[in-house]
Amino acid sequence: MSVMKLNVIDLEKSEYTGGKSSLCPGCGHDQISNVIIQAAWENGIPPEGIAKMSGIGCSSKTPAYFLGKSHGFNTVHGRMPSVTTGASMANKSLSFIAVSGDGDTASIGIGQFVHAIRRNLDMVYIIENNGVYGLTKGQYSATVEKGSRKKKGTMNEQPPIDLCAMAINLGCSFVARSFSGSKKQLTALIRAAMGHRGMAVIDVISPCVTFANNDESYKSYNYVKENDEVLHMLDYIPHFTPLEEVDIPEGEYDDIQMFDGSTLRLETVGDDHDPSDAVSALSAIHRAEKEGKHVTGLLYYDDSMQTADEEIGLTETPLSALSEAELRPSEADLAGINAAFRGD
Amino acid sequence: MERICNDFTINIATANGTGSQSANLIVLNSMFQMGVPVSGKNLFPSNISGLPTWFIIRASDRGYQAPGDKAHIQVLMNKDTWQKDLDSLEPGTVVIYNEDVKLPVDRDDCPSFGMPMTKMARGINPKLARLMCNMYYVGALAHLLGIDDAAVSDALGRQFKGKEKAIELNTRAIGEGRAYAEENWEGGIPYCVEARDKDPDAFLVEGNEAVALGSIFGGVNMLSWYPITPSSSLAESIIEWLPKLREGDDGGATCAVIQAEDELAAAGMVIGAGWAGGRGMTCTSGPGISLMSEFIGLAYFAEVPGVIWDINRVGPSTGLPTRTQQGDLSMLYEASHGDTQHIVIIPGTVDECFEYGWRIFDYAERFQTLVFGFSDLDLGMNNWSTAGFQYPDSPMDRGKVLRTQDELDAVADYGRYRDVDGDGIPYRTLPGSGLDPVLYRGTGHDEDGVYSEDPDVYYATVSRLRRKIDGARDLLPAPVIREEEEQQIGVIYYGSMENSITEIDDMLESTGLSVSTCRVRALPYHSEVERFIERHDKVIVLEINRDGQLYGILRKELPVELLPRLHSVAYTDGIPPRARVYADKILETLEVTV
Repeated sequence: MSVMKLNVIDLEKSEYTGGKSSLCPGCGHDQISNVIIQAAWENGIPPEGIAKMSGIGCSSKTPAYFLGKSHGFNTVHGRMPSVTTGASMANKSLSFIAVSGDGDTASIGIGQFVHAIRRNLDMVYIIENNGVYGLTKGQYSATVEKGSRKKKGTMNEQPPIDLCAMAINLGCSFVARSFSGSKKQLTALIRAAMGHRGMAVIDVISPCVTFANNDESYKSYNYVKENDEVLHMLDYIPHFTPLEEVDIPEGEYDDIQMFDGSTLRLETVGDDHDPSDAVSALSAIHRAEKEGKHVTGLLYYDDSMQTADEEIGLTETPLSALSEAELRPSEADLAGINAAFRGD
Repeated sequence: MERICNDFTINIATANGTGSQSANLIVLNSMFQMGVPVSGKNLFPSNISGLPTWFIIRASDRGYQAPGDKAHIQVLMNKDTWQKDLDSLEPGTVVIYNEDVKLPVDRDDCPSFGMPMTKMARGINPKLARLMCNMYYVGALAHLLGIDDAAVSDALGRQFKGKEKAIELNTRAIGEGRAYAEENWEGGIPYCVEARDKDPDAFLVEGNEAVALGSIFGGVNMLSWYPITPSSSLAESIIEWLPKLREGDDGGATCAVIQAEDELAAAGMVIGAGWAGGRGMTCTSGPGISLMSEFIGLAYFAEVPGVIWDINRVGPSTGLPTRTQQGDLSMLYEASHGDTQHIVIIPGTVDECFEYGWRIFDYAERFQTLVFGFSDLDLGMNNWSTAGFQYPDSPMDRGKVLRTQDELDAVADYGRYRDVDGDGIPYRTLPGSGLDPVLYRGTGHDEDGVYSEDPDVYYATVSRLRRKIDGARDLLPAPVIREEEEQQIGVIYYGSMENSITEIDDMLESTGLSVSTCRVRALPYHSEVERFIERHDKVIVLEINRDGQLYGILRKELPVELLPRLHSVAYTDGIPPRARVYADKILETLEVTV
C-alpha cells in the first residue's frame, strides 16, 4: 500500500488538480498550471477558499485545468479584473488567483489591469506572456519585443509594453517576472504571491510552441533560456515551517516577510537587487531590454499599501454572508427618513 | 379681474450656474408647503456655467404634472434667450424681468413688471449679487401670486439647511423683492395661489434619490459606477445615505462603493459581486448601457444576478445629455449579441422608484440574471410628491442558493445549469463554499457547467433561458389599469409618462372618447397587458421615443390576431411630455385608423 503525500491540511495533491488540458502539447501555460497546483498544495490553502479568475484567450482557458475543487470564472476578454473586483468586494475572504494573457492584459484589458493595480486589489495576477494571440492563430500581441520574429511572419517593429515596468510605475505592491521553464523560481514566486496581501503581478514568459517557439522569437524556450538574467535565487519558506529549521545559504541573502507569515528568501547572485527600490527595478528592466535579455525574479515589493477592501473599510464578515437584519435598515430608519424629508 | 387660482404655469429663464436652481426650488417648495398641487421641471443644458436653463413650475388643482403647453407667467433673467422667450409668449402672459439686464421688453400685449434685481442684490452683497439677484423674483412671485411668507421661509430653510448666513442674506433679498413689487408695481395679475389642505405626510423628492434609498433597503453590497448624467445623482445619493443607514457590527461598511474606470468595469464588478453571492448594482444612462453590453450577455448566459439602473437621457450617441426620453427600452430588453432577453422594471412614480429600488435585487437573485431598472431624467432628476416611502412588505428573496452540503444533497441530480424544478431556474452554489465547484463561463456549457459545443446541449440551454425569463412575466409588477366601463380606447404607456397621463386622458375624454389606461411596469410584459388589449378595440401604445419601442416589443410577442388593434403614438423632442402634444397625436392616429 502506497502512502500518498499529504500537505499541511492533510490533502493529497490530487485535490488541487483540474481537468485535462486542451492546449497544444508542450505549451508553457500547462507548465504554469502545474506550478499553480503545486504552489497551492504546498501552501496548504483549502481549495474551496480559492477563486480562479480569467479573461479570454489560451491562458484564460487554463483555470479549467487546475484547482478543480475551487469555483472559478472565465469572464470576457480583458475584463477579468473588474469581475474580480466585484467578487472581492462581495467576499473578501476568497483567495483570488487570476490568469490572463498578454493580449488579454496588455491590449484589450490594459485599462482594467491598470485600475486593479491602482486599487491594490487583493489578488494574484499571473500573465502568461507569449507575445502572440494563440487562439486566433498567431497575431503579434503588444508585449512582443522590437526585433522579435514569430515562426511565420515579418519582424515586429513596434516597441513592447513591459507590463512589469508599468505595474511598478503604478505602485503595484508585488511585481515579479519569471519563465514557465523555471519551475523552482516560478513556484517560489507564486507561493509568495499567494501569501501576499494586495495585488501581486507575475509576468511569466510562456513560449507559444505553435506560433512563436522559433529562435528568432525573443519568447521562445531557447531564447529565454539563454537570455534569462536572474536577479536572485529564490527560496520560499511557508509560515508553518520555522525559519530556524531552514538551512542558511552560504552567500548573502535577504528575507522578505509576507503577510501570511511566510518568508521569501532572496539569495544574492551577482549584483544585489533591492526589491523595495522601484528605480533600480525599473533600470534593471530597461537595461535588460536594451540587451535583449529577460530579467526575472522579484522586481518590486511594497507591503505598506492599503488594499481595496481596507481602503473602503469593509466590515469583517464577507458581505455575501451578511443576514437580512444586517443588510436592511429598520422600519424606524425609514420612518426617520420620511420625517426628515417632511421637515419634522 | 377674473382670478385663476392654482391653475397656471411659470417659466423661469436663467443662465446655468447662476444659482437660479435654489431660487426655483424655493418657489416650488413654498407653493408645495401651502398645499398647492405643484410640479417642477428643470430644463438644463449640458454645461457648468453660462448656457440657458429654464425651470417650469406647474400649479394644478387637477393634479396635472406635465409641463403646461404655454407659460402664464414668464420670468426673464437671461439676456441670451430674452428676445426668443419674449417672442414665444401668448398675449396676456405676465412678464417679470430683471431691469439690470438692460434689454427692452417689447410686448405691449403682456403685462410686464421690471425690477432692478442685480442692483438691489449688490446693495446686500456685491460679491454675491450674481447669485442673489434670483431671490428677487422669488419675492416678486410671492407678492404677485400671494404665496405666504411663512411658506417661503420654510422653503428657504429647507434649501439652505444649516447655512445660517445664506438663509439670512437670501431672506433679506426675497423680502426686498416682495417689498419692491408691493411699492412699485401697479395692477395685479389674474393668477394666484390658494392654500389647500396639504397632506401632512407629503414631501417632494427626486426619483434618483428614491431609487438610492430603495437600493439601500434592498441590501446593496456593492455599488460600482461611472459618472454620467442623469444617473450620477443616484450613485451620489447612495454614497450620502449609506453611512447613516448601514454599518456592520464592527462599524465597517456593508456596501462597497467603487467609482469604476468606465462603464465596462462597472458592469464587470456587478457581475463579480453577484457571482460571489453579493448584491451588486450600477447606475448609468444609455451610453453606459452600450458599453456594458458584452457583460450583460455574460450575465444572461452564465446566469449571474445583478442590477443595472438606466436613467434614460436623449440618444442616439451623446445625444442631448440633459434631456429626457424613453429611447433605451428595446436596447435594454435585448441587450448584447446573440439571442438575449432581460427583465426590465419600470417605475412611474417616486414611490415605485423606492419600492423597485429594493425589490429589483429579489428579482435578480430569484431569476439569476441581470435585471434593469428603467427610469429617465424627468423622473430621476425632477421633484415629485410622495406621501412617504413604504417599508418593504416582504423579506429578501435570495433565490435558489445552496449554502450547505445538506441543502445540496437535498436537490436530486444537482447540476449548476440543470432545471431541477421545471421553472427554468437552476440552483447555484457560491464560491468559497466548496460545494460542487464549477468554472463559470460565457462559452457554451452543459447542465453541469462543463464546456460544450454540442448542438443539442446548446439548444437546450438557450431554450431553457427563454423559458426562465418568460416565466418571470407574472411574477413581476403587474400593470396599473384604469378602466372605463365602455371599453373603447385603451392607452398603454409606461414610466414617466405617468406624470402626463391624467391630463392627456382628460383631453381625450373631453372630445367624447372613453379611454382606459394601462401602465406597463415590467418586461417581459405581464399577461394582464394582453388581457387589457383583448378588451379594447383600439389600443394606443404611447411612448417618449421616435420608433415606438414598446409597440415593437408587443408586436413581436402578442398573438397575431391582436396586432390590428395596436397603434403606436411615439414622439420625443427632449422635453418632458406635454399633454397637448401627445393628446393631439393620439387623436390624429385615431382619426386615420377608423
